Amino acid sequence: MADMRRDFATRAELIAYLKAEFPDAAEVCDVVPPSPIGGRKAAEERLRVVNLKKYEATRNFLDGEVTRLSPYIRYGVLSLAEVRDYALANTKSRDEVEKFISELGWRDYFQRVYAEIGDGIWEDIEEYKTGFSAHEYAAKLPEDIRAGQTGVTFIDDQIQTLYTTGYLHNHARMWLAAYVVHWRRVRWQAGAAWFLEHLLDGDPASNNLSWQWVASTFSSKPYYYNLDNVLKYTGDRYRGDPTAMGHQAFVGSYETIARRLFPRIQIETNTADQPRRGR
Amino acid sequence: MAECIVWVHADNLNPNNAALRAASGSPAVFVWDDELLKAWKISLKRIVFIYECLLELPVTIRRGDVALEVAAFAQEHSARRILTMASPSPRHKLICQRIMQQMPKGSRLEVLRDPAFADTNKSIDLKRFSRYWSSVKCDVLRGKK
Repeated sequence: MADMRRDFATRAELIAYLKAEFPDAAEVCDVVPPSPIGGRKAAEERLRVVNLKKYEATRNFLDGEVTRLSPYIRYGVLSLAEVRDYALANTKSRDEVEKFISELGWRDYFQRVYAEIGDGIWEDIEEYKTGFSAHEYAAKLPEDIRAGQTGVTFIDDQIQTLYTTGYLHNHARMWLAAYVVHWRRVRWQAGAAWFLEHLLDGDPASNNLSWQWVASTFSSKPYYYNLDNVLKYTGDRYRGDPTAMGHQAFVGSYETIARRLFPRIQIETNTADQPRRGR
Repeated sequence: MAECIVWVHADNLNPNNAALRAASGSPAVFVWDDELLKAWKISLKRIVFIYECLLELPVTIRRGDVALEVAAFAQEHSARRILTMASPSPRHKLICQRIMQQMPKGSRLEVLRDPAFADTNKSIDLKRFSRYWSSVKCDVLRGKK
């Protein structure tokens, strides 16, 4: 087999070459965002501008100060240990960076589970705790979701973001995953495979095990949310008539939503409006 | 004739990784896994990102059956020693085994690791993140040894 090219005058030339070499990938989606750029140099630049103080305070907001390091960490361009050491070396207080480091810990945790169960990350680790059995969930991702035309404005916007940028904020990943699994009753595997097509940081362990966490096959209860949660973390974008935006199915208290989504069981409601991770 | 070659894979594209440092100046190869690409259907933006990472590494880039290509690359350079980085992926283990089946007797494949995030020697309960975190937290927050 001949060597692939390494000499490109411009990024556009590289993209055109790869489009011709990997036509199947271009068929899935041929949009390439202007950033991030791959490679160690870009990774180090990104690391230098990370604001960990702001991260702690704003990370749950869609426009919050997230680090955008995940694609570099996924491909080992930056190791977890060096990012952790960088954070510790650039803070006066360990408490200030503890949350950030624990988020790095999620990746280490998922990698360890992957090393232990291998391709088992594609199977339900535990049963669904939703009152439904696995066979009651559709195996295939519905076409309207794939097309980003569900009629639910905040969901369709996130799908477009996924396609055009290859990135989703963690909160948006959870909303989208919970929508697919709980509102549309689709098996998490279909959603996980779909995310892997597009996420620049798409890693089978972090991706699948996070979907399982949302689905409740790798957690003690399903993750779900309501419109108040979406409004709180998206600024003014979705304020207005919920019906006009297709948001009716998300209106109500956590108790109401839980009764609607999981009518066969009693779910201990959690009114916390933050992603319920780390328990 | 090279003493060894480095097999670079997508789970570690750090130019300073242990394998590239240990075999500095030795030929290195990355192979796009055609079978995996077919199964995962990743979009063009992911391919571009990985390729940009590769362009900063001193590697020959090929595509096809990874094990066959890596073994062929080693033989082109008359190398009997292959260095690579660890990966939790079961496919990585499988490819390592298949590479060795292709290599002449007496060849060696060494799997190296970068410094770990948390102590890898102790047994950790992985049932839930909270259990994992409570057993590694102190060690992790101490940082560089």
